[in-house]
This record gives sequence, C-alpha cells and structure tokens, in this order.
Amino acid sequence: MKTETKILGIILALTVALLVGGVFFLSKQSTSNDIKDATVYQIDYSKGQKIGSDSAKVKLVEFSDFECPACAAASNYTKKYESGENPDIQFIYRHFPLPQHESAKKAALVAEAAGEQGKFWQMHDKLFETQFEWEESKDSTAFFLSLAKELGLDEEKIKKAIEENTYAAKIDADLSEGRSLGVNSTPTFYLNGRKLNFKSFADLNTAVEEELKKSN
Amino acid sequence: MISSNLSNRLIFIFSLFGLFVSSFLLYEYNFASSVVCPTGAGCDIVRASPYSSFLGISIPILGVIFYLGMAVLSVLYSQKSFQKIIFKLHLLGSLVGIGFGVYLTYLEIYVIRAICFWCVASFIISMFIALSVIFRRRNENGN
Repeated sequence: MKTETKILGIILALTVALLVGGVFFLSKQSTSNDIKDATVYQIDYSKGQKIGSDSAKVKLVEFSDFECPACAAASNYTKKYESGENPDIQFIYRHFPLPQHESAKKAALVAEAAGEQGKFWQMHDKLFETQFEWEESKDSTAFFLSLAKELGLDEEKIKKAIEENTYAAKIDADLSEGRSLGVNSTPTFYLNGRKLNFKSFADLNTAVEEELKKSN
Repeated sequence: MISSNLSNRLIFIFSLFGLFVSSFLLYEYNFASSVVCPTGAGCDIVRASPYSSFLGISIPILGVIFYLGMAVLSVLYSQKSFQKIIFKLHLLGSLVGIGFGVYLTYLEIYVIRAICFWCVASFIISMFIALSVIFRRRNENGN
C-alpha cells in the first residue's frame, strides 16, 4: 500500500470516528439568558386568541402570519402550549399578516370566524399544516371553506365572514399593536413582555421552561 | 488544469468538509429539537418542509453517503490502480452532487422560500469537488 493511501485512509478513518463519536457525545447546552430582550413591553393581554388562565404566571404572546413558512415551523414548537395542560402558562396568538402574503389576511379572517364557532386552534393548526397547498392557490377561499367543512364548521358563516371582512378591525388592531411594539418580522414572541431573539425555535421551549422555574 | 494528485487531494479535503457539514445536519435532523442555523429560522423551515427527504431517505443521510463515497474513492485513487474507473466515478458522483444541489437550492429559493445555511454550504462544497474533478489533467489518467 502506498504511503499516501495510508495517510488518506487514516485521516478518513479518524474523521469518521470523530463524527460518530461526536454524534453520540454531543450534548447541546442551550441557555435562554441571552435571547430575552431586556425591555419589558406593555402588551395588552386582553386581546388575542388565548389558551390558559388570565392569572397564569407565564404569558407567551406570538405575533404570527398564517402564510409565513417560519410561523408554520414555529407552530410545531408552540403546539405543546395549545393543550392548556400547564395552568401556569397562557399562550396568546395575535395576528400579524405581512403585506407580501396575499392570502394571509383572509386566512386570519377564517381563523377568527372558526374561533367564533369555538374552533380557532383547530383551524390555526389546519392552516399551518396545509400552508403549502393554499399559499399558491388561485382560489384560497374555496380551500379555506373545504378546511371549514373538514372541521365541521358552518361554512356559510365562514364564507360570510370572508365576504364581509367581518374581523378586519380585530386583525388590524393586532397589526397596529404589533407595530407599536416593534414587531417587524414573523413569528415574534414575547415572554412575560420580553421580546425573544432566538436563532432556533427549540430555544423558545427552553426560555418558557426557565421562565416557569423562575416564577415558581 | 491541475495535476491528478493535487486534484485527488482536493477532492479528499472537500469531501471531509462535506462529511462534517452533512453529519452535523444529520445530527440536528435526528437528535436535536431544532437546527442551529446562522441564517435564522431557515434551517428549521427547510427541515419542516416535505422536501427534507428524497424517496423516503433523509437528505443529510444522502449527503453523508455522497461525501463518504467520494472520500473513499480518493483513498483508492491514491493507490494508483484503477485510476481510470475511479476518475469516471468521481466525475459521475460530482455531477450527480451538483445536480442534486441545484435542485435543492431551487426548492429552497422558489418553493420553500427559506434558505438553510448548511444546505447551501454543502452545495458550495460539492461545486468545489466538481471543479477539482473537471480540472484534473486528462493525460494522467492513462493507467
């Protein structure tokens, strides 16, 4: 065997061993201390779609857009707060449909209309799960109505809400509060009033858990 | 044009870089709850998309297989036997790598609309590998 073959072979074997070892022993230590903004923003907690008690110690507010792919990815991490199992956490969803997303406002209207029939969170999940299907659709209304049917909602009421722009004022109020808080991208999260600036959505769950520990 | 020895060493080194990137992604896809991404949420979005696997195989696994295969071929090439066939395999592998990289980058920009830093890094590495293969001096592949 040639010397170069031996050297390259050894380097490759060491690299593979290092990588395999790394996968086994790598333990991620993440801390949320540096992801929380120092400023505590005054958020109107009376608004938005809520899960959990108003007296909860930890309040997590999300400004989100149903047509934003990052929001869909984040919804996998907020799902655990939708069950309302932990009485110490209140999760609040606020609308922040971005202007470049053509159907985002309509999706927000549909979610609110579903909320009127007691199924906001079910529609919230459906909209994110099917985002790939409706974002490019020429007739998003028909798609939204099919979702409403799937969820057993009164389609006529949903259709009327879309046509009459019934919840536009509520959505616009969310948008303007978001802007006044400095929201400029979605999703934006506030944990007990402090804006979260994380690189990875897993940090959201870590930050919530730390806040829970702190408040107990 | 570069000598076949230099070309082979470059392919080997770039393949190791690629192996590091795709192994890291493999770890993040399967063991970590969220992908560490210098470009914000892009990696999470790409991972959450239906395009994070190809024919049922996770994309980072394909990356590990590709880079490991290219590196093993480089080790064999240095043995100075079967160089002609190994050169052809290197060329074929690097073209497949580039083609797949173009396809994935297209999906990220136009379909998923999110950029995964590590996927782009892997694409750039595969381009360097292809360049190292393409610019290898042909007359040294005679044996």
